[in-house]
Amino acid sequence: MGKEECKTMLDALNKVTACYRHLVIALGSTSDSQNLREELKRTRKKAQELAVANRTKLTALLKDKTISKDDRAEYERLWVLFSSSMELLEVDMKRSLEIGQDFPLKVPTRHLIQTGMTGSTTTVAARAMSVQNMKYEADSNIDTADLRDLQTEISQVSQMMEEMEMKVQVAPWAVEAKQEAGAELKSNMSVGNSSVGVISICEEEPKEEEGGGGSSKGFASICAVIVFFIIVFAALILGYLVINMS
Amino acid sequence: MMMIEQREETSKTETERRAKQSILRSFSSGEDIIAWLADRFQIDTQEARSFGSMLVALGYIYPLQDHKRLLIKPDASLYRFQTPYFWPTQQWPVEDTDYAIYLAKRNIRKKGILELHEQEQYNRLHKWMNHKWDFIVMQAKEQYRAAKERKKPDRVVFECQERAYWVVHRPPPGTVSAMDYGLERRIDPNADETKTPDFYERIMIFTQQSIMRPRVKSSVSIGALVKYCTTYNSHDPFLSKCLPSNPWLTDDVTFWTLNRLNVEVPSKMRVERWTFSFGELLSDPRGRDDFRLFLKKEFSSENLAFWESCEDLKWGTAATMREKAEQIYKTFLARGAPRWINIDGKTMEITVNGLRHPHRYVLDAAQTHIYMLMKKDKYGRYIKSPVFKDTMKKAICPEEHKFSDAQLEQNAKNRRPSLSPIILRQQELEQRAKMAANAPVDITQLCRFTTPVPHLAVYSGITDSPSLAFPAPSPACPSPISVALDSTSACERRLEADERKPEALGPVRGPVSKSRMALSLRRLLKRGCTPATMFASLSPKCHSAAGTSSRIQPISPDEPSQAPPRRIGNFFQIKVDIPPECRIYPIESEDEDEANRSASRGGVGTKEIICPWESLTPHNGTG
Repeated sequence: MGKEECKTMLDALNKVTACYRHLVIALGSTSDSQNLREELKRTRKKAQELAVANRTKLTALLKDKTISKDDRAEYERLWVLFSSSMELLEVDMKRSLEIGQDFPLKVPTRHLIQTGMTGSTTTVAARAMSVQNMKYEADSNIDTADLRDLQTEISQVSQMMEEMEMKVQVAPWAVEAKQEAGAELKSNMSVGNSSVGVISICEEEPKEEEGGGGSSKGFASICAVIVFFIIVFAALILGYLVINMS
Repeated sequence: MMMIEQREETSKTETERRAKQSILRSFSSGEDIIAWLADRFQIDTQEARSFGSMLVALGYIYPLQDHKRLLIKPDASLYRFQTPYFWPTQQWPVEDTDYAIYLAKRNIRKKGILELHEQEQYNRLHKWMNHKWDFIVMQAKEQYRAAKERKKPDRVVFECQERAYWVVHRPPPGTVSAMDYGLERRIDPNADETKTPDFYERIMIFTQQSIMRPRVKSSVSIGALVKYCTTYNSHDPFLSKCLPSNPWLTDDVTFWTLNRLNVEVPSKMRVERWTFSFGELLSDPRGRDDFRLFLKKEFSSENLAFWESCEDLKWGTAATMREKAEQIYKTFLARGAPRWINIDGKTMEITVNGLRHPHRYVLDAAQTHIYMLMKKDKYGRYIKSPVFKDTMKKAICPEEHKFSDAQLEQNAKNRRPSLSPIILRQQELEQRAKMAANAPVDITQLCRFTTPVPHLAVYSGITDSPSLAFPAPSPACPSPISVALDSTSACERRLEADERKPEALGPVRGPVSKSRMALSLRRLLKRGCTPATMFASLSPKCHSAAGTSSRIQPISPDEPSQAPPRRIGNFFQIKVDIPPECRIYPIESEDEDEANRSASRGGVGTKEIICPWESLTPHNGTG
C-alpha cells in the first residue's frame, strides 16, 4: 500500500538525516578527516535520492483527489514529516559547506579544533548507508571538489523545497501529530502525557537494545555468569575434598 | 555590541584555531587558557580573564565542571573547545525545532527526569510545535541511536558539547548568557532604505515639524540637566553606592524589601527624594501616604482624594469610566457634596460642561488646578510639618553589605523568584478597598448642604454595606442618591451635628458648621438627649446609617436606639415615598423648622442640580 511504502521511505530519510547531522557536528574537529568528508558526501547523496523518491511519491498521493478525508490527513502528516526532514537536511548542508570551507584538509598544516573526540565516525555513516562496513575510495582532493558539488546540491535542494511549497497546498500547522508504532501513550496529544509518552519511547529503547544491538553487553554478561559457575564448581570440589580429608 | 563581538571573533578564530592546535590536550585548565591568552595577545591577566569569560559566555569554550556558570575561573577547573558546528560565529539561527529534539533526546537518556526549566520548555514546545511533534520524536530517536554507534568516550564528549551549546542559547535560570536575543523583526532597522517618493515625503514632513518645534535656549536646558544630575547623582544606583547592596550585583534582596511600596519605615534616601519636588512625593506611594496623613491633620484631604480619583479615572478601564466620573462628581464637585473641593468658578464650569459627555480626561482641568494648589500651598507646609520631620527622623539608613566571594556564590544559589505581579495587584486592590472603607469623612465640609451619602463608598470613606441594603428594596428609584439627599438631609444633618459635638476637638472650618454645632448643642441640651444615642454617634462612621435609622425612630418617640440594621432598608423605603416636605421628625424649635424647610427647598433646588445624569433620567421618586 502506498502509505506503508511512504512510511518506510520516510523512516529511512529520517535516519539518514539524523546521521548526517551527527557527521556534520564532527566536522572541523579532531575527528575530522578525509574519511569524514567522504562519509558526508555519500550520506548526502543517499539523502537526496531518498528525498526525491519521497517527494514524488507523496506529491502523487496528495494530488489524488479521490482519497478519503482520513487518508488525506494522514498524507498531510507524512508531508509535514517530510518537509521538516528536508528543512533539517538543507540547514545541515549549508552549515557543512561553511565549515568545510573554513577547515580545509589539504593544507600543509591542518588547523582542527581539539574537541576531545578521537574516534571515527565510520559506524554512524555505516548506519546511514545501511551497510555493514564502509569502504573508502575517494581521491585526495575530496574537500575542494566535494565543496563545489555541495554548492550545487544545496541549490538543488532549495529549489526542490520551493517547488514543494508551490505545488502542494498543505497547511503544516493544521496537522495534528500522532504517534504510531512505539509510543501508544502519545496518541492523545495532551501535554501531560507527552513526557510519559517519551518515557514509553525510552522503555522501548532498552528492549530494542537487548534484542539487537547490545551484543557486546550480552557477551560480557554471559562471561560473568560462566566465571561465577566456575568458581562455585571449584568451591564445591574443594569442600568435597576437605570433607573427604577430615 | 554582539555584532562587534562577532567581527572580533571571526578575526580571532583564525589565530585561535592555530593556537588551539598548539594545545595538544583535549581540555585545558582555566589558568592555562588565561595565561595563553595573555601571552598570545599581549594583554594583562585581568583583560585575559575577561576575554576568556567572553569566550565561554559566547560558547567557544565550555567548562566541564559547573556547566551552568559561563565564566572562566583562574584555577585548575577544566575547559574544552566547542566544535565549529556549535560556534556562534556564522550566526546561524537557533531553531526551536532543534531545541525540542535535544530535549526529547535528553528525556530518553534521563528516562523522563528533566530539570524543571527543561520540563517547562518541553511542555511549551510541545504545545506550540505540536504539528511537528511526530517529526521531533522520530528525529530524537534516530539521533539517539546514531550517537550510540560511537564509542563511549566520544559519546560523552558529544553529549557535553550539545549540552554546552544549549546552556548558552537557552540558558537555565540563574545563568547569564552573552546571547542577547532581541525582538525578531521583519525589517532590519539598520538596513538601507530604498529611496522612494514616500521616503522623501516622510523626510520632508519630519523637517517641517522640526522647524515648527518650540526651542529652548541651550543655557536653560543645560542648566536644567546639570541641576537634575547634581540632585539625583547620589540616588542613582549606577553612579553611587546602593545601600545596603545592589541586588543585581550581590543577589541579596534586602534593598528591595526595604524599599517596598508600602513599607512602614522608609529609607533616608527615599525620604530625601520627597523633598526634591512635589511630583516625586506623589509618585512614591509611601510618600503619598505620608502626605495624606499630613493633609488629614490639616483637614484638607479631599484635595488629594480628588487627585487620586482623577488619576484612577484616567488610568482605569473604559467600562467603569462613566460610573467613576459620576461618583467623583457627586463626591467632590457637586453643590452639597460631602468632600467638596475648592476650585474656581471657571474651572468648575468647564468641568461640569465636560461631564455631560464624560471621557477619560474630562477632569483634567480640575485635577491640574488641585495639583497646583497642593503643590504651591500644602507641599511647602508638609515639608516643614512635624509629620514629615517625624518620618525623616524615623527613616533608616541601612548598613552596607560586605560579602565575601563564597557568600556571593551562596547568594547566587539561593536566588528565588519574587511575588507574582498578579498577587501584588490583588494586594494593592485590597488595600485600596480597605482604605476606602476606613477613611474618615472630612470634617470641614459638614455644613448645611453636605450630607454624607452612604452609597458613595469609594472616596468618601463610607462602607458599601449600608448602600447595598438600599438599592435592593428600592430599585425603582432611578437616582436614589438625590432622593436620599432630600429625605435624609435633615436627619443626617442633625446626626452630623450631634456627632460633631463630641468631636469638637478638631478645628472646624467654616462658620456655618460652627453655628450649627452650637445650635445643635443647645438643642440637645434642651431636649436632654439620651446617652445611648450619643454613644451611638460616637461609633465609627460605618455604622452611621445604622445610627441614622436608630436615631430616626427615637427622634419621634423616645424609644431605645439601635434598631437592627435590617430595618434600614424598609425604613428608607418608607421614607422614600413620603415627600420631603412632610415632617416626620418632631419639631422642637423654630430654627429647626426653618432649617428643615430650607433643606427641603435646598433639596428641591438640588434636584435642578447641574449634575447631568439627573437631568437625563426622569424622577419618579419624590415627585
